[in-house]
Amino acid sequence: MRGHDRVGLGWRPELAAGILGHLDRIDVVEVIADDWVGAGRRALRAVRTLARQVPVVLHGVSLGLASAAPVETRRLDGLARVVDAVGPEAWSEHLAFVRGGGLEIGHLAAPPRRTATLAGLAANVARARAVVGAAPALENVATLIEPPGSDRDETTWLADAVAATGSALLLDLHNLHANARNFGFDASAALGRLPLDRVDMVHLAGGHWITARDGQRRLLDDHRHDVPDPVYALLMELAARAPQPLTVLLERDGDYPALEHLLGELDRARAALARGRAERAA
Amino acid sequence: MSAALETYLTRLYLDTDTRRAFLTDPRTAAAKAGLDATDVAALEQIDRVGLELAAHSFAAKRAAAPRRDRLARLVARLRCLRWR
Repeated sequence: MRGHDRVGLGWRPELAAGILGHLDRIDVVEVIADDWVGAGRRALRAVRTLARQVPVVLHGVSLGLASAAPVETRRLDGLARVVDAVGPEAWSEHLAFVRGGGLEIGHLAAPPRRTATLAGLAANVARARAVVGAAPALENVATLIEPPGSDRDETTWLADAVAATGSALLLDLHNLHANARNFGFDASAALGRLPLDRVDMVHLAGGHWITARDGQRRLLDDHRHDVPDPVYALLMELAARAPQPLTVLLERDGDYPALEHLLGELDRARAALARGRAERAA
Repeated sequence: MSAALETYLTRLYLDTDTRRAFLTDPRTAAAKAGLDATDVAALEQIDRVGLELAAHSFAAKRAAAPRRDRLARLVARLRCLRWR
């Protein structure tokens, strides 16, 4: 088992050269698995080469595990092929549904938080584990809408999801922050109610406020802005509460700044982790 | 009936006409979609602001998505050539 916290960055074509040039400041790289499903052997070999230079984790975005509907076998087979070719340390997916009735939403939708969804999630994770060879860590999603048909709050849902699947939790702290701002709960208190001993990876990102026609505003998790201060504060709090080593990954998906700026965000994450660990030790 | 609810939510997120009809008369529209009484009742209480913003956000994501995997693979091939 790893004995120390790590901080890394999401692999994006726009950042590739910068990442390869700064592997001394990047402990781990997260690669979007879906970008490589259907890729040729040569392309997959390139990702495997990357995985030999730096620890790589794969991140899925389109399985739609948190659904009452079963994930199609061809999608699991495609992911298994990428996992097999790349040899990542771990892989992850979202607690989301992404399609319904044969229609693709095109992004991650928060599912109804209820028992029937949990049953579908558990079945899908079990199938994923069987086909891929390892269970995914499960990530909490940001949502602009209170998921209709829910009978429990987000923290209860996340705890239930981890218990029902046996999976680790990939805790996206900006998603938690955004949902807290949008739906009026305290992110720090929510953090305290989560099964933090099951968190192995953490996502950091940024977002911006958007406005509805009636003037109400909500925080959109867009991965195009810097990580806000409250998210670093949550990371510090997590490090103070969770005993196990954490792998912290920064996600950026547009409006790319100079890589040095992103490396500065990684440094801030390291500092937050160090403060949290010091608090824990005190 | 969660699968039916997911399917209907998907249509609400994707289709402007479905959304408009639903927002005009949620109970009738949801019942007409074949949802059970529990889900119909849940949808009557829907977060309308969230529905509007989520639908727009999903549309923007779909519009931005198509070129990503092609670009990723092109970069990988170029890197692969460099590393060989």
